[in-house]
Amino acid sequence: MDSVYLCRLDDIPDGTSRGFDPWREGRDTVFVVRQGAVLHAWRNACPHYGTRDREVPLAWRKDAYLDADRSSIVCAAHGARFDIATGICTLGPCLGQGLQRVEVELAPDNNIYIPPQGGRRPI
Amino acid sequence: MNIIGPDALVFGVDDLAACAQYLTDYGLAPAGNGRFEALDGTAIVLAHKDDAGLPAPMGTASMLRKTIYGVADQAALGAIAEELGRDREVKRLPDGSIEALDDMGFVLGFQVTVRRALDMPAETINAPGAAPQRKPNVVAVDENAPALPRTLSHVVYFVPDVPRAEKFYVERLGFACTDRLVGAGPFLRPAGTLDHHTLFLIQTPPFMKGIEHFTFHMGGPTEVMQAGSRFVNKGYQSFWGPGRHKMGSNWFWYFNSPLGCHVEYDADMDLHDEQWTAREAPAGADASQLFLFEKRDNWAPGGPPPGAAGAAERH
Ligand code: FES
Repeated sequence: MDSVYLCRLDDIPDGTSRGFDPWREGRDTVFVVRQGAVLHAWRNACPHYGTRDREVPLAWRKDAYLDADRSSIVCAAHGARFDIATGICTLGPCLGQGLQRVEVELAPDNNIYIPPQGGRRPI
Repeated sequence: MNIIGPDALVFGVDDLAACAQYLTDYGLAPAGNGRFEALDGTAIVLAHKDDAGLPAPMGTASMLRKTIYGVADQAALGAIAEELGRDREVKRLPDGSIEALDDMGFVLGFQVTVRRALDMPAETINAPGAAPQRKPNVVAVDENAPALPRTLSHVVYFVPDVPRAEKFYVERLGFACTDRLVGAGPFLRPAGTLDHHTLFLIQTPPFMKGIEHFTFHMGGPTEVMQAGSRFVNKGYQSFWGPGRHKMGSNWFWYFNSPLGCHVEYDADMDLHDEQWTAREAPAGADASQLFLFEKRDNWAPGGPPPGAAGAAERH
């Protein structure tokens, strides 16, 4: 599988989040949170209700993955909060469980890619 | 205990502006002081989570702070105060309402209901073999129909001890169990309404205690579809639906929300009285939905619009 281009670094303002549909599944299956030059990418699947067959989306609106002061990822289904850097649920229904990380690469030209196999679910 | 149903739900949220926008786009009318009203005056009330006027949070991710029930009259209010006063503190608030904790620690308010009587038609259908509900030349579809929430229908709680929670609502507040999802919990109907349920309880671990969802009744399935489609088109994230429940028969469509719970549109719920015998079914998708659709990109018979090839949206 080839790398998948997501966007330019500038397309995600510092401190914000953005959803992507890298494998053209018809909805955002991955989201990226930018903290300075550091990017954290996660599958858009809450561990609380999610199953292999049905991934449960976190956002309440396109790209809305963070709380008001942008200090945590929040699942807008039942309010679970996740640490942005580790993906661990710190409060809510999936306490102690975690989001699935997606590898992303920031190229020297400031393009963001998912490298080959970077975001596929483990078989 | 002549409890009619929930008059209002009070939330302490971290993003007031987002929640206010969300509830307005959902179809509730801003009425000032953080209050967002349906057509009959039932409401969602928002405050910032640090607002000192709010009851204490539950210590979980839930943002629900209080469920305010509407009761028939002062006598009903007095009876509830007396009943709950036997073993817990019942506060009397300046607005004439009372406040007490349920057995799970949810804050409850009771007030003489603020609901305004509605006089609005239900959705009508024409079916072979039945007298037409719409006369000749009356069309059903109006793209610009308002499709607004009419009344606060029900609230669903995650509770750590369903038998104990159910006992409180049945024995102390006069609710009746209409149906039961085994493994989840009971659908509960208070004495002052025939609606299948205004409260549903789901068993969960203690760290999940709080609200799963709330919903307002719409005028019919078409309004659920119309309001839900508009909501999706404004960018809100569909979670489950549209579909139709088995128990209660209500049509549903659930959305994620910045209030830390699901928010639903529902319509056409069964009515029950004391002649009804509660049914039981194991909890699970099969038991809860008669059928389910999923929102996809619009297309007309003849094929998807140019450029949308295969890009069906799976919300
Ligand atoms: S599905 Fe995410 S908190 Fe429940």
